[in-house]
Amino acid sequence: MEYIVETKNLTKSFGKEKAVSNLEMKIPKGEIYGFLGPNGAGKTTTIRMLLGLMRPTSGSVQLFGKDMKNNRIDILKNVGSLVENPSYYPHLTAKENLEASRKILHAPKERIDEVLKLVRLHGVRNKKVKGFSLGMKQRLGIAAAMLHQPELLILDEPTNGLDPSGIIEMRELIQSLPKEYGMTVLISSHLLSEIDQMATRVGVVTKGKMIFQDSIETMRKIAQASIQIKVNDNEAAWRSMLANGQKADLGEEHINLQVEDDEQVAASIDYLVQQGFSIYRVQEETRSLENIFLEMTKEEHAE
Amino acid sequence: MIFPLIQSDFLKIKRKGMWLLCLIGPFGVVALQMVNYGVRKDYLFEQMDDRWLYYLLNINTFTPLAIVLGIVILTSFMSSIEDETNAWKQLVALPVSKRSVYLSKFTVISCILFLSSVLLFLFVFGYGLTLGLGEDIPYLRLMEYSFLPFFAALPVLGLQLWVATISKNQAIPVTLGVIGVIFAYSAPLLPDWMIWKWPALSNDWGHAYINALLGIGFGVLLYLLGMVDFKRRDVK
Ligand SMILES: Nc1ncnc2c1ncn2[C@@H]1O[C@H](COP(=O)(O)OP(=O)(O)OP(=O)(O)O)[C@@H](O)[C@H]1O
Ligand SMILES: [Mg+2]
Repeated sequence: MEYIVETKNLTKSFGKEKAVSNLEMKIPKGEIYGFLGPNGAGKTTTIRMLLGLMRPTSGSVQLFGKDMKNNRIDILKNVGSLVENPSYYPHLTAKENLEASRKILHAPKERIDEVLKLVRLHGVRNKKVKGFSLGMKQRLGIAAAMLHQPELLILDEPTNGLDPSGIIEMRELIQSLPKEYGMTVLISSHLLSEIDQMATRVGVVTKGKMIFQDSIETMRKIAQASIQIKVNDNEAAWRSMLANGQKADLGEEHINLQVEDDEQVAASIDYLVQQGFSIYRVQEETRSLENIFLEMTKEEHAE
Repeated sequence: MIFPLIQSDFLKIKRKGMWLLCLIGPFGVVALQMVNYGVRKDYLFEQMDDRWLYYLLNINTFTPLAIVLGIVILTSFMSSIEDETNAWKQLVALPVSKRSVYLSKFTVISCILFLSSVLLFLFVFGYGLTLGLGEDIPYLRLMEYSFLPFFAALPVLGLQLWVATISKNQAIPVTLGVIGVIFAYSAPLLPDWMIWKWPALSNDWGHAYINALLGIGFGVLLYLLGMVDFKRRDVK
């Protein structure tokens, strides 16, 4: 598979602390990759290394199949980024801010108006950024990241400081990018709910380690409701069901049934009744994606 | 390519008062002599047969001070523009080498200082003409006292730019700069090897151009050291 981003054994230490530890990130082309983790997990540090702002302590970064160490400038021609808090020059206008980057990126002059319209800052283009609200500065940062229509867009917590309607707009904008421009997007957040509607892939990181990396569907499957059944003899019932070819786990108090639809639940119960088990309880346990995410990151904390 | 970076840096110094500083420096140096000659012209004319030379020497008591002070302010301004919202990370994430980022800053400040030297030449020449210092205008000396201090001050520029770009807190380069200004003011008391003495253009050999050559040599050296160090550091 062709990966736009691929890191191998990526590690960054600050003194004794490992902020990022043997991270293997893989992002295929055209995906929107949600990079999730609690505060201090190492997201920003990873992103800094992806952009060549920081040198890895060990391991490597490859973007577009090229090694960052030897092709930094070449690679960065096709990368747009927004790292942590937005950076800007307060004494310059929105337009001048973009112009400062545009010159270096060799983007056509018209792009400035285009991206300003895209993030709805066209009306204030000649105002000094000093007076902008946090959300406006954030949007200006995103505009700057898209000036040269990069193949890879890296956004570190881009919804920081945006109001609800700003978040929705941002989501729509990001969702349109792979379709309209074939862009690949990496977007970090510490809230799954913020990105689960747009991400196609998810990487979860805690304490510098990647603990989950797969498609959002796989994550959703884990999150799917399971049916808990409590009978007079759980273990016997569980064995009987497995023998019958049904998927089930034995919990401490009950059997966990992984089912796809209601008919299957009915069939399973019917089967247990026929086998002569007394059914005490049937209940549904739902876990939200957010819960799963919290559980994942909690387990790691407990260690 | 370095040229777009330089253009971008010129754009960034807009409205920062750096161009005003470029004008005030040389004007201030000449204005001090306007006061001096305005008050006691006759006395000053008696001090030396070569009135032009004496006038240039008077000018040159304040030129080093103005240049060192200018360097401190310009380098500190320049890096505070990027420090203010930590724009370094945005700048270095663009397709540019860190070396050219540093070179561009150095070039822009050098340009401003050089323009100041041109203005100094014009102001000194212009005011000198009005004083009636004599028919023989020493053009060569005039050029020397206008442009050589700039070259002799390059090591100070290399040092200040280095410290200013790597310090998160501008108090450090400014403190170093203030010490430098004091050194530049007490130049006659300093040993020849101290870089802050060089813009005064005096040395044991009696050739001003030696200071300029030393300045270029050590300026390039300190510039290279600063650049290598800047490149080596992680951008936060
Ligand atoms: N320059 C640095 N020097 C020392 N330690 C650092 C540095 N940068 C980051 N760290 C440490 O590395 C760890 C990871 O930080 P990082 O900023 O990457 O986390 P994050 O996942 O982006 O968190 P957040 O969600 O709060 O933005 C933290 O423990 C932090 O203290
Ligand atoms: Mg972060």
